[in-house]
Amino acid sequence: MKKEIITSRLTGDSCIHVKHSSGLDIYISEMTGFSNVHALFGTKYGSINTMFKTAEDTEYTTVPEGIAHFLEHKLFENEECGVFELYAETGAMGNAFTSFDKTCYLFSCSKNYTENLRILLDFVRKPYFTKENVEKEQGIIGQEIQMTNDNPEWRVFFNMLKSMYHNHPVKIDIAGTAESIAQIDADLLYKCYNTFYNLNNMVLSIAGNINADEVLAICDELLKPCEDNGLETFFPDEPDSIVQSEIREKQPIGTPIFHLGYKCRPLTDSKEKVKKFITASITASLLSCKSNEMYCRLMNDGIINNSFECEIFDGDGYMSLIFSGESSKPEEIRKAVVNEFARILRDGVCEKDFLRIKKSSYGDLIRQLNNVSAVAGLMINNALSGIGTFDIIDTFSEITSRDVYDFIKSDLTEDKLVLSVIEKAGE
Amino acid sequence: MNYKRKIIGDNIGFSTVIDEKFNTCSLYVRFITELSAENSAVNSVISALPAMSNSRFKTIGELSDAAAELYGASITSFSNKRGDAQIIGLSASWICNRFALENEDITANMLEIIHDCIFSPNAENGEFDITSFKISQKNIIDAIESQLNDKRSYSVNQAYKLAFRGEPAGNTNLGTIEQAESVTPESGFRAYMNLLETAQIEIFYIAPEENNSVAEMFRRSFEKINRNSHEYTISSKSPLKAEPENITEEFDVNQSKMVLVLKSDSDDRFAVNLFSTILGGTPVSKLFANVREKMSLCYYCASSFYVEKNAVIIESGVDRANIDKAYNEIFHQIDEIRNGNISDEEIQSALLALDNVYSGIGDTPSQCFAWYFGRFCTNDIMTPQEYVQKFFEVTKDRIIQAAESFRLDSSYYMLNKESAE
Repeated sequence: MKKEIITSRLTGDSCIHVKHSSGLDIYISEMTGFSNVHALFGTKYGSINTMFKTAEDTEYTTVPEGIAHFLEHKLFENEECGVFELYAETGAMGNAFTSFDKTCYLFSCSKNYTENLRILLDFVRKPYFTKENVEKEQGIIGQEIQMTNDNPEWRVFFNMLKSMYHNHPVKIDIAGTAESIAQIDADLLYKCYNTFYNLNNMVLSIAGNINADEVLAICDELLKPCEDNGLETFFPDEPDSIVQSEIREKQPIGTPIFHLGYKCRPLTDSKEKVKKFITASITASLLSCKSNEMYCRLMNDGIINNSFECEIFDGDGYMSLIFSGESSKPEEIRKAVVNEFARILRDGVCEKDFLRIKKSSYGDLIRQLNNVSAVAGLMINNALSGIGTFDIIDTFSEITSRDVYDFIKSDLTEDKLVLSVIEKAGE
Repeated sequence: MNYKRKIIGDNIGFSTVIDEKFNTCSLYVRFITELSAENSAVNSVISALPAMSNSRFKTIGELSDAAAELYGASITSFSNKRGDAQIIGLSASWICNRFALENEDITANMLEIIHDCIFSPNAENGEFDITSFKISQKNIIDAIESQLNDKRSYSVNQAYKLAFRGEPAGNTNLGTIEQAESVTPESGFRAYMNLLETAQIEIFYIAPEENNSVAEMFRRSFEKINRNSHEYTISSKSPLKAEPENITEEFDVNQSKMVLVLKSDSDDRFAVNLFSTILGGTPVSKLFANVREKMSLCYYCASSFYVEKNAVIIESGVDRANIDKAYNEIFHQIDEIRNGNISDEEIQSALLALDNVYSGIGDTPSQCFAWYFGRFCTNDIMTPQEYVQKFFEVTKDRIIQAAESFRLDSSYYMLNKESAE
């Protein structure tokens, strides 16, 4: 196997990439002077992957909402014991998470990293699902769903997605619903596992106080070649339009919160996707930076507070630019945002502001590359998204203020804007 | 981690952690004062002001732009409670000069800005600038109102109010809306000057190399202030109530919350910490293994040691119908430890988990600061490695004695209205 050294043109930082004979993509960053090791073993499988087939199947399989997250929970229990018990013998902190488009298993440790890597690579490849252990998990995940339903930040976000997307499964809750998880059984879990937990669909990322040769030797020992199963996922057609422009819900909260999101056109080509992501991020910074005229006016008038922010949410078949925060007058924010984008289209993007944001972003990237868990996260996120490790960092310098202008003009139109609000119950 | 601390003024500590692997410089300035019902709101309102503007950069926008020009340097405010003390201050971080693309002296520029934020605030004639002040005041009022938005932290805060009633730790960091509204630019400025004069102050500089000019800047600046500092209590044991008390509130929520506060007069803090870790501090702890995994009663059930008040806090998110079952099982598991039913594996896994966490401290500037400031607050300055060693010296008998020393003091329940019907 050939070790490919990937280096950032901008910062000079580098990491190792190996396409392992098993089919797995491995990313390694040896970080001198650090004590911790952070490793993630992930699959390109999240809550949006509800319809799929492999080369063996003639038809697509549709699975219940929340099954990727359910599967993540169940992999933490193998035939002999729970995975936490294995990590308890080394002291590592083990965990896992499921997002819209990926599931990752991880550990963080300051000692015994080779043992922990063996545990990680072993248990993720040993599913053990039974009627009994599936039923037990339905109770625990039922509680998790209850808990997230009480979380206004979660509700305001998913209400926005439901109002934004007609068909794309990004609008469904990652954990599913009490009804959907009740349909999950051991056979369905094995079907999903065998489809998505194929090493050709997975990535290992490890950073920190490690030796690349040791990591690769463990991979050689434990991972056997795996045949590509010709996985295809299916997403229903999603129109450009939104479902509705406003959604409100009441909850027992102290301060109303809002999400104000533009439905943007997602891209599939990886180079264009990176450019668009950076352009959108700079646009978000332009409007949420503290010297922006709109920001100052809304802040001085007491319409927003220091919780106000703007971020990009994107993945396979979806993209959105989202403003969020606390406010009792979110409709004023909607009006101000629309007017501000209209002003930029009229007057142009301020070159000075644009250059300052780029300079600031450069500092953020330098900081990110000095953090073990951030580096491990960067490597796996970009690999699972189909882009190079340092593509975002290195493409930054190519973006111009004209790109920002064009993005605002093409994607941020008022007819694609959704306002989601969680109001105080009883008012 | 190369840690050093020196005194640079009346009750002013200046610590450095030098580690060449860092590519940033970080500065943490912390004012320690009493957590009182009268002053917590005003202190919270003024805590944000030094990070919003100063006499040179007179608006949030100007200060923010100045920091952004220095490659996205950050200047943030801090305000929180810790035991019986209120701790407020400013944190700043910037990339090292060697990363500057146009040879700017980022560090020198940042030190000037930070100096002005703290020692030359945006104020005239004894009053804070009204625009920055109003923004900060609204932020605090909104933060007070939004406490209910996060049900889990709200529940813990309600439990603290009951458990530490009558002690400084029973007060909130933010105060009440009325108190925050009553602060004026003038009273706020007086309170700020009072902090500069009377607070205990700890400053941390964490960077890849020494820079004597940082300590010197603070020493010279504080020399010009008429310091008359006080020693404030941060850690104190909370007295056990004669009878346990509880508070119940009902809301339209899906999941109920239970928070139990247990208190002890034990002085054996390492044994107490280990008891809490074995009980509910890891994913193989007794509470996780039994209340969550075996009985499937909740999504989370965990315990933590509140070292400054010698209390153990147990939190759980459960269905209302299962609260009694969960409560009984929690105390059954505490009894198991009291009765010595702790396996060698349980002790070993708790030790390894603690070892893993503490041995990794030092990989980020914020961890270095949190570690040494934490040790300052509990008056036990030592390295993470020395700290870990103390845990390995704890015997099973000491864990049992620690468990026996705890009694239930207070409980808070957030109940789901619908389940009551």
